[in-house]
Amino acid sequence: MRDITKVRNIGISAHIDSGKTTLTERILFYTQRIHAIHEVRGKDGVGAKMDSMELERERGITICSAATYCDWKDHAINIIDTPGHVDFTIEVERALRVLDGAVLILCSVGGVQSQSITVNRQMTRYRVPRVAFINKCDRTGANPDKVIKQLREKLGLNAVPIQVPMGLEGDMQGLIDLVRMKAVYFDGENGDKIREEEIPAQYQEECDLKREEMLDAVSMFSDELMEAVLEGTPTEEMIMAAIRKGTLDLEFTPVMMGTAYKNKGVQLLLDAVVSYLPCPTDVENFALDLDHEEAEVKVSNISSDPLLALAFKLEDGRYGQLTYVRTYQGTLKKGDSIVNVRTGKKAKVGRLVRMHSDDMEEIDEAGSGDIVALFGIDCASGDTFTSGSDYNFSMTSMHVPEPVISLSITPVDNKAQDNMSKALNRFTKEDPTFKTYVDQETLETIISGMGELHLDVYVERMKREYKAEVTVGAPQVAYRETITQRADFNYTHKKQTGGSGQFGRVAGYVEPLEEGEYEFVDQIVGGSVPREYIPSCDKGFQKCLDKGALIGAHVTGVRCAINDGASHAVDSSDIAFQLAAMGGFKEAYLKAKPVIMEPIMKVAVEGPTEFQGSIMGSLNQRRGMIIGTNEEDAYTVIEAEVPLSEMFGYSTDLRSLTQGKAEFTMEFATYRQVPKSVAEELIVKAQKSKKQ
Amino acid sequence: MLKQELIEKNPIRHLKGESDAQESSRMGLVMARAGVGKTALLVQIAMDSLLNDKQVVHVSVGQSLDKTKLWYDDMFKDIAESCKLDKAGEIHDTIMRNRMIITFNESAFSLAKLEERLHDLVQQNVIKPKCMVVDGFDFGKTDRAVLVGMREMAKTMDLQIWFSAVCDEGTDNLGAAAAPAPCTGMEDLFNTVVLLQPVPKSDCLDLKVLKGSAAVSKCGKLLKLDPRTFMIREDCK
Repeated sequence: MRDITKVRNIGISAHIDSGKTTLTERILFYTQRIHAIHEVRGKDGVGAKMDSMELERERGITICSAATYCDWKDHAINIIDTPGHVDFTIEVERALRVLDGAVLILCSVGGVQSQSITVNRQMTRYRVPRVAFINKCDRTGANPDKVIKQLREKLGLNAVPIQVPMGLEGDMQGLIDLVRMKAVYFDGENGDKIREEEIPAQYQEECDLKREEMLDAVSMFSDELMEAVLEGTPTEEMIMAAIRKGTLDLEFTPVMMGTAYKNKGVQLLLDAVVSYLPCPTDVENFALDLDHEEAEVKVSNISSDPLLALAFKLEDGRYGQLTYVRTYQGTLKKGDSIVNVRTGKKAKVGRLVRMHSDDMEEIDEAGSGDIVALFGIDCASGDTFTSGSDYNFSMTSMHVPEPVISLSITPVDNKAQDNMSKALNRFTKEDPTFKTYVDQETLETIISGMGELHLDVYVERMKREYKAEVTVGAPQVAYRETITQRADFNYTHKKQTGGSGQFGRVAGYVEPLEEGEYEFVDQIVGGSVPREYIPSCDKGFQKCLDKGALIGAHVTGVRCAINDGASHAVDSSDIAFQLAAMGGFKEAYLKAKPVIMEPIMKVAVEGPTEFQGSIMGSLNQRRGMIIGTNEEDAYTVIEAEVPLSEMFGYSTDLRSLTQGKAEFTMEFATYRQVPKSVAEELIVKAQKSKKQ
Repeated sequence: MLKQELIEKNPIRHLKGESDAQESSRMGLVMARAGVGKTALLVQIAMDSLLNDKQVVHVSVGQSLDKTKLWYDDMFKDIAESCKLDKAGEIHDTIMRNRMIITFNESAFSLAKLEERLHDLVQQNVIKPKCMVVDGFDFGKTDRAVLVGMREMAKTMDLQIWFSAVCDEGTDNLGAAAAPAPCTGMEDLFNTVVLLQPVPKSDCLDLKVLKGSAAVSKCGKLLKLDPRTFMIREDCK
């Protein structure tokens, strides 16, 4: 088994179009996993290796985080390619859970854009140490210094360059390594021949200055280095150890630069990944003890301990379901039996493979901290595997956000119908934020998710991967209803039409519930409602929650209590009490002043200052509540909370308003009551569609 | 507790002039040593205007938007909890609609920029502030002209402006009405100058009125505040 300290699980995370996939492609080339370089939107039609899904290749974006593996200088590196769009946050967040470190890629022209801010925030939340790589230094307008300043100001990172570029834009020749004080050139057609030389005279002064700055910053993390710097004798090892310490503590971010497209700087980045990013034992990971109310327990990372592994991604491969897992402790061996903690089911490890995007390599065992893939294991993403049922730990307390937007889809023919259900079945397993159900009234299939693009991508995937042509309805916002005050009910359900009758009376109240969706309270004393019918009442109430009386939206935040009732020796039954509870709920519901709630999105628009006025106007028009603005030199970020229903088509509007210079990100924030005028409109609309 | 009571307990009541007519186009200054609670007091000042249904612009230099927003959320939560405010959620939503935060990077802040921004906001009908609080303004690096400009702006926009300033150590003994460094010599530009000091071995804060209409306060020139909510403490009233 491999030495765990020589394993690196890293993610490559960045803004769309900062060249993430191109960089990954180069890494695979230099580590000799692939033998030819294909461009992302290449003319050769092969596409980059990591963008294995057809759709991704076409759009030039990475949607699913495929994991891939490579070797570099005696170290094993598992790369998880993370998606860059916020609509796929669950993918990003899940990927962040399994990585130990990350490379933050920035475009030397675009700099830190809003997407990077979101990703950076997520990384800080999961305490992922990172190194920064300023890519595309060959582009016109490249300015690494500006990007470093933005890293400090916008992302709050202690970003310090450890390299100096020799020339920028078209005439970039190579890089100067400030740790070793050497000029590095990348020769050969693919930049694979590294040539080290003395620093050219014209860069000497700049390098001395930058090195001093770097030493100042990193000597904070090592007393030994501090002393050595004072005496003027810092060694390479000391500096590297200090950079590593600062990086692991998340207090220092070494910045590298280069251009993946022109094959410069990638090998040095790999060196940095090996030298500065943590191995699995350097980071603390926590499991949740399910026997003790999900208390956090540190995982040991020892290969001989009981197994603890997280399935973080599923893929429908050519040979059945492929499950990507990361082991946190213990060893995953071929032939072992493992237990899925969520379902309690036992499974046998059949084939164990190391993934390289599309290709794979069979292995016999995987030690703690490794990332591998399993075949033929039935599970959902986010499931935890352990070595035995007495070892009851889970890696995630899978809190999944509720979907905020939905679409109806209708298959065009019978064949598409079959394929569609196959596809939906797969997608719901892969992505917990993607849900699907059949609307009982319209008999349409509804899919719901976290944003417009999120659903778009799945519809596209259905077409491409499953050949399921569907027609798509207009997107619908997931409204909700809730009550605002307590109301009592006392309802008798009676039916006497031949045969045995139905009788049940329930009395009680409904009231707003501060937290949670629904609660049932049984306050019956003296058996006025027989014990066996109390669950029937609960069932009856829950049936009412599906469709509220106002606009037929899901009802949440309700506590239903029963405190009295009556029954009949012969005529009372389960169904009678269910109907009585439903009647009671309906009676009380309108008295409890129900209101409509709508999803509110946190929107951040970033654009040049001159458009600030029109951006604000556009948000205001959309019932947005502007929280504030952040002024930077030429850029303004405007943050606002806007109802999702008003955000449809915003990207087009924003583009035309700002000549395409502004962009926005959107995240679900909360549910809030809709204003009266809008509520009335919704109610009228709901009534109309009911009549039809 | 009702909203009205909350308004009355706000320390700012005692610092602002008595009538509304006096309220506009004034400048105030909150001074304290680092970490005592300048921002909190500024937020409380803003909160008072918000509770009176007046719109507020919060200018923050060097702090992020999220952090500034958090100040308001936390402060409101603390106040709502300790005063058992009725319909807290509703009040929170409405007052937050009347607040606008503008954050500047330290290097990006200038009077001209701020003025332009405010004019934009008013013109587009996004907000029409009656009160502006400026947090993180570096008095050490400013000359008088900027503050005179601010005063001018307060007048033309019919606005009340409050600043915070970090004062240097050893400012306990002061002459009458003299503001401690770095604001010495600028007091004439402000209608009100207050100094916030922690009281040793007690859980309240002293609010010393160095300049301004403190006569309205029942406790004379010294108010005692609860350090959590920045409300006037009942027992000292």
